[in-house]
Amino acid sequence: MSGGHDYPHESTGVETRKLGMWVFLSTEILFFGTLITTFMIFKGRDFPGIKLTDVYDIPFTSVSSFVLLMSSLTMVLAHNALENADQEKTRVWLLATAMLGSVFLAGQIYEFTEFYHKGFELSTNIFSSTFYVLTGFHGLHVFIGVVFLIGLWIIGQRQKGLSLDSGFNLEFIALYWHFVDIVWIVLFTVVYLI
Amino acid sequence: MTKIIEPDKQTNIFRRPSSEYGIWSWLTTVDHKKIGIMYGYAAFFFLLIGGLEALVLRIQLAQPDNNFLSAAEYNAMFTMHGTTMVFLAIMPISAAFFNYLLPLQIGARDVAFPRLNALSFWIWVFGGLFLYSTFVFGTAGAPEGGYLAEEVGWLGNAPNGGWFGYQPNAGFKYSPGTAMDYWAIGLQILGISSLVSAFNFIVTILNMRTQGMRLMRMPVFTWMTFAVAFLLAFSLPIIAIALFYVTFDRQFGTTFFLTEGGGDPVLWQHLFWLFGHPEVYILILPAFGIVSEILPTFSRKPLFGYPAIVFAGFGIAFIGFGVWAHHMFASAISPVAQAGFGISTMIIAVPTGVKIFNWLGTIWGGKLNLKTPMLFALGFIGMFVIGGLSGVTHSVVPADTQQTDTYYIVAHFHYVLFGGAMFGIFAGLYYWFPKVWGKMYNETLGQIHFWTMLIGFNLTFGPMHWLGLQGQVRRTWVYAEETNLGFWNLIVSIGAFIIALSILIFMANWMYSKRKGEKAPFDPWDARTIEWTIPSPTPVWNFSKAPHVKALDDFWHAKYDEDEEGRAVRRDTADDLLLQLEEEGLNPEEEIELPNPSYYPFILSSGLPFLGYAVIYKSIPLALIGVVLILAGSFGWATEPLEEGFRSRKEEE
Amino acid sequence: MSDNHKEHPTPKKYVQIAIFLGILTAIEVALYYTEDFVGVFTDPLLIFLAIGKYVVVVGWFMHLRFENKMVNRFFAGGMILALILFAIVMIERAAGNFFN
Repeated sequence: MSGGHDYPHESTGVETRKLGMWVFLSTEILFFGTLITTFMIFKGRDFPGIKLTDVYDIPFTSVSSFVLLMSSLTMVLAHNALENADQEKTRVWLLATAMLGSVFLAGQIYEFTEFYHKGFELSTNIFSSTFYVLTGFHGLHVFIGVVFLIGLWIIGQRQKGLSLDSGFNLEFIALYWHFVDIVWIVLFTVVYLI
Repeated sequence: MTKIIEPDKQTNIFRRPSSEYGIWSWLTTVDHKKIGIMYGYAAFFFLLIGGLEALVLRIQLAQPDNNFLSAAEYNAMFTMHGTTMVFLAIMPISAAFFNYLLPLQIGARDVAFPRLNALSFWIWVFGGLFLYSTFVFGTAGAPEGGYLAEEVGWLGNAPNGGWFGYQPNAGFKYSPGTAMDYWAIGLQILGISSLVSAFNFIVTILNMRTQGMRLMRMPVFTWMTFAVAFLLAFSLPIIAIALFYVTFDRQFGTTFFLTEGGGDPVLWQHLFWLFGHPEVYILILPAFGIVSEILPTFSRKPLFGYPAIVFAGFGIAFIGFGVWAHHMFASAISPVAQAGFGISTMIIAVPTGVKIFNWLGTIWGGKLNLKTPMLFALGFIGMFVIGGLSGVTHSVVPADTQQTDTYYIVAHFHYVLFGGAMFGIFAGLYYWFPKVWGKMYNETLGQIHFWTMLIGFNLTFGPMHWLGLQGQVRRTWVYAEETNLGFWNLIVSIGAFIIALSILIFMANWMYSKRKGEKAPFDPWDARTIEWTIPSPTPVWNFSKAPHVKALDDFWHAKYDEDEEGRAVRRDTADDLLLQLEEEGLNPEEEIELPNPSYYPFILSSGLPFLGYAVIYKSIPLALIGVVLILAGSFGWATEPLEEGFRSRKEEE
Repeated sequence: MSDNHKEHPTPKKYVQIAIFLGILTAIEVALYYTEDFVGVFTDPLLIFLAIGKYVVVVGWFMHLRFENKMVNRFFAGGMILALILFAIVMIERAAGNFFN
């Protein structure tokens, strides 16, 4: 950050980028809140055509939800390893997180394709539209997260390795990743189970 | 004199930009002051365009049964007038103030994320250009059974569904053509810009305060910036999603807001006004902040009830989230909701009233110095009270049902947004003119500007109250001779041209004074806050050393002491202090780290319009160009350090 | 100023938390299949479990428990605001159908 030596860098004591990320995540709640609200409103209504309950594959989605949940564990382990300055372990756990995230994404692509073949298209009815936009928006977040993680992993290959002070830092990405996970916790219940 | 040293090493693909003058310095700058100035000029440019659109509307309405504009062109003009004034004029002019003043008021060298700051500016510029490119590329189209396409001139190639874009009118069936897509995607891009700057300002205020600048010592303008940033951060996501739905409905055949596929048009109204009402406070709160700075300075008294003003500001921001459905009393919402929102609309008048009384308490018994900023601030209070009172009348649901979509509403919100926000903004422009340019504006021209604008404003929007109550409806391009509305409409149109004249006077004053104005004294207004403790125009490094703040209105207390009766007495040392501050401010003791300029915010944001065009024209090549620009910008950004080659001497030893 | 950080948990603790989360997920899926037995309690239970998982991830994995109060308030503020606003919209859209 700009400023001389006489400048206090963080008036609140929270690292500036991390604070920025928390503010961003707080607004993300409103993004997903709007999407979920729309979904809930239309869920209670009658609509023509195929219903979601006709196409769901709950065992499959449960497994992919579990995969995403576990990616949060690997993420926090990567963070922990970096706090203990263990570069090797950090990279391993980072890669594991990116892999789990990719598995989840692959699962979502498979699921969308299956639904599509069952005649459940984006504009089939209001319900399919809300489903695809809501879960697709989440999927986009996971995708961006995976890109971030791989980026971090590549940076971690360099000699200096990763640090918790650099601009593009692990703690910052970890927060984002966990947030994407908690959104799915809500979506899994709201979209699939209820 | 300048002790900032050039970056010497090349750590990136391109050499970093380093010019301090000329066009490249502006395109690549990350300096909050330069960004603020660019926001100001660009927003003023759009303000002029929005004003011209308003004049075109008023020419059409000057006489009954006029045919200066066709219905289609009229629709396009009022839509673009509203959209421009809200998103491209008032919001960014406020952003100009935030950018320039916020770091100065909290004693910082820049905002928390300087490059993100440049990014939000450039995204905003490209969003505005994208929206306005509709006049070149867009088509309004003709709905079945509507007006004929041949009637539409180039003025009609713009979005025509209103700035509120009500569905299904703004949907594909009733607004074919691409114009409303430009609107939806344009607002989406502008929203990203505001969202990014909101994060930046929140983090800046929380984390970048100088020593001793506790929260309750911050100037009120900073507090209001904080409140606005919260409102932006929590309301923009809602409209972003709603605009996604609109784009999906128009482009990909979904039916989120269209009843034929099971969608819900009233849901759009909810989502729009969930954003739209906080937006009203986003537009007015900066003016509240500006006026709260000016009134104490020109009354030579402390602000009356500083904590009350701060908490009232946050009260307004919070309750502002709970009144949105009063825009929808004439829509299909339940009676319970109508009652609830009527009550909350009455309640929000309370914190607003608290502020008005605080301002009156501030000027009460003060030694008023009626310079132009003060005149505008006083004009603000008067006009805003009128607008506020007509606003409270909307909380009475039966009355509101009667007034909905009449000129009464138009009168109300122009008293709030023009008489309120714009008067406050002009007050601020005059007040901080010496700070930004180091010159004084011409006081006589400033006073003429104020009086012509006040008269023109009241002639324009005053008569709209009774025109509306007599039943003249908004958004309608003609009225019949027999309605007898012609006389007052003519007066309104004349008033609009008087406002235009006053704006010309303002521009003349600005351009003349900026070049040939007198050199501004160090502390021209005998001000209270720390942005006046540094030389004008502000040096690149803002503060040559971090100020240590000991009290609210710190600068005032440095200059003034109190006698036994509590009256302010100027200290003997005050004049020496000013000289000393000027000397120190221009000559920092050590070299100062400043963020380097960067190409990447510009490159990254230039990709967004391409993505917009790609969605509208379903074009893969355009999408690729957009994605490549965005990826190139992000990659360059991520691999480029914020500061390089800028080392202070101490560190090198 | 970062000394007000409480100590972050150990890897062992994190694994235990993850196992706990996994169990909650299993219960959720089980509830989906036993809806006929559990009846009207299914949906409230599911929501309760989701909130539980949410709080655990935010509190422990995102370290919000160990974070500055400012951050806590901000995130909680966003949550509460969103819940209130969207509850009103949902109820209104449902009630709108009911009253009309």
